[in-house]
Amino acid sequence: MTDIAAAPARSVGFFFALAPRGKAVFFALAATAVCLLFAFPVFWLILTSLRTGTGVYYVHRGTEFTTDNFHEVLSQEIVLRALFNSFMISTLATVLSLGVTATSGYMLSRFKGPIPNAWFSLIYIFRCVPYVAWVLPLYFVTQKLHIFDSYWGLLLPHIAVHICFFSWIMKGFFDGIDPSMEYAAMIDGCSRWGAFWRVAMPAAVPGLTALAILCWLYTWNEFLFALILTAHETPILTVVMAQFVHELGMEWHLMSATAVIALVPALIVTLFGQRYVIRGLRI
Amino acid sequence: MNEKTRFMLALITPAALVLILFQVVPILTGADASFRNWTLHDPKRTWVGFANYLHVLRDAEFRDIVLPNTFGFMIATVACSLVLGLAIALMLNNRFPGRWLVQSFVLLPLMVAPVIAAIMIRWMFNDQFGVVNAALEGLGLAPISWLTQRWTTFAVILLTDVWLWTPWFALILLAGLQSLPPEPFEAARIDAASAWRTFRYITLPMLRPVMVVCIVIRAIDAFRTFDIVWTISGGGPARATELFSIYAYVEAFQFLNLARGSAAAVIGAIVIVVFALLLYRVLNRFVEVSK
Repeated sequence: MTDIAAAPARSVGFFFALAPRGKAVFFALAATAVCLLFAFPVFWLILTSLRTGTGVYYVHRGTEFTTDNFHEVLSQEIVLRALFNSFMISTLATVLSLGVTATSGYMLSRFKGPIPNAWFSLIYIFRCVPYVAWVLPLYFVTQKLHIFDSYWGLLLPHIAVHICFFSWIMKGFFDGIDPSMEYAAMIDGCSRWGAFWRVAMPAAVPGLTALAILCWLYTWNEFLFALILTAHETPILTVVMAQFVHELGMEWHLMSATAVIALVPALIVTLFGQRYVIRGLRI
Repeated sequence: MNEKTRFMLALITPAALVLILFQVVPILTGADASFRNWTLHDPKRTWVGFANYLHVLRDAEFRDIVLPNTFGFMIATVACSLVLGLAIALMLNNRFPGRWLVQSFVLLPLMVAPVIAAIMIRWMFNDQFGVVNAALEGLGLAPISWLTQRWTTFAVILLTDVWLWTPWFALILLAGLQSLPPEPFEAARIDAASAWRTFRYITLPMLRPVMVVCIVIRAIDAFRTFDIVWTISGGGPARATELFSIYAYVEAFQFLNLARGSAAAVIGAIVIVVFALLLYRVLNRFVEVSK
């Protein structure tokens, strides 16, 4: 019996003909492989962060575990400041970018004519320009404005990055909301601003939530802008983390502990905010 | 100016101000700088025309290593993540127990900072203490010093990028799959079409518009990859894995020649805008024909 089954199992057609069990086994294997591939690096990082300073060199063997790495990292002043700065910058950038792009997306969605067309082409073109073409001179612009290495010097460029893409997505959100409610509100004596703020905005809240989560994580994870536009005054977590590699002679246990701390928001979103993220990813 | 126009302008004013001050002005400043002599012994910043551009274009490093690297990296990462992402999307499009669990694992890399991903992969591929070499030794193979040779370093960088971006393809393609109308699939089932033929002649053509948008967006982003290369190899060994954004950064901030870095960045910007337009045209025509 096994001989008969084994020979045709080589060809895919027969493999699926063994359904439903053959297909179920194939599925289970593929699903496990996918989970392992995507989770293993993160798992390995967490494991490394729990080993002692000498234990990291035989992560796959020893059995000693410790939380000292976290204590040591969190007692470093620069890491604490970086945590606080990253948190503040991400939060402020999210609030301000959403505020600025909600109005711009609403305008693109509700009006037609030369002004919306001109605005749309402008943001469409600037979406394509690579960051490097723009971040190098940004260094000089922020220095001229005396905001280099300060909150504003990092915040405003971050908002500028988001304007093009978010206006586009916001337009999509408002396109999906029926404007007749706003017309009704205006007939009843509501101003244009009132119609936007009291009628359109509440209807866009689910989309805004999704975008807010993505925007927060994006800013939290961003590296290039933080690397170029900040120095000692405003340490940012991603940059501090990368410097463990280059300057302190590879302190892998401390670096992985910092990385795990930086991963916490990502893990929380993956566990609780999946629905919103998937909605926010729709093109 | 009537009341409606004033309202429209008021809605975009904050966004327009930030955009002009922090994107348009820097881009123009950069373009201006790229035509000047920016070295330290020339405080007047003399206008030198296209000299910086010619220098970059004549630089063997840029021509023979950076450009092929950038395009090779872009094509390889888009192709690999598209195929893998499509496979995962097809798998997640079925109902099976534990589906949400698999989806959570797939979502994970999207949330992880590219810098963290680069650090993790770099640690796993460490030549003395990395888990990959430990596994190779366990299998009785010789360990490989991954990050000291050009092609193995390139492969590690590519692997990191594919790990980071496959989930993005998978989730968008999954959303695309779920929005397809069910009728053609039912017809195919009634006609007893095989799974492969259903995929090849129904799923793939219907999914093509979504795939085109994905490829264009991802190709543009892959062209300007910076953080993972910077963290994994810093462009090394010996500048062998530099991509175009690393080249511009190194010229500007390590060789302290902002003009040359800006010229490289402008060249890159022109290349990618032209490339994006061409790519969109070609892929779009491909879609038209397939309809």
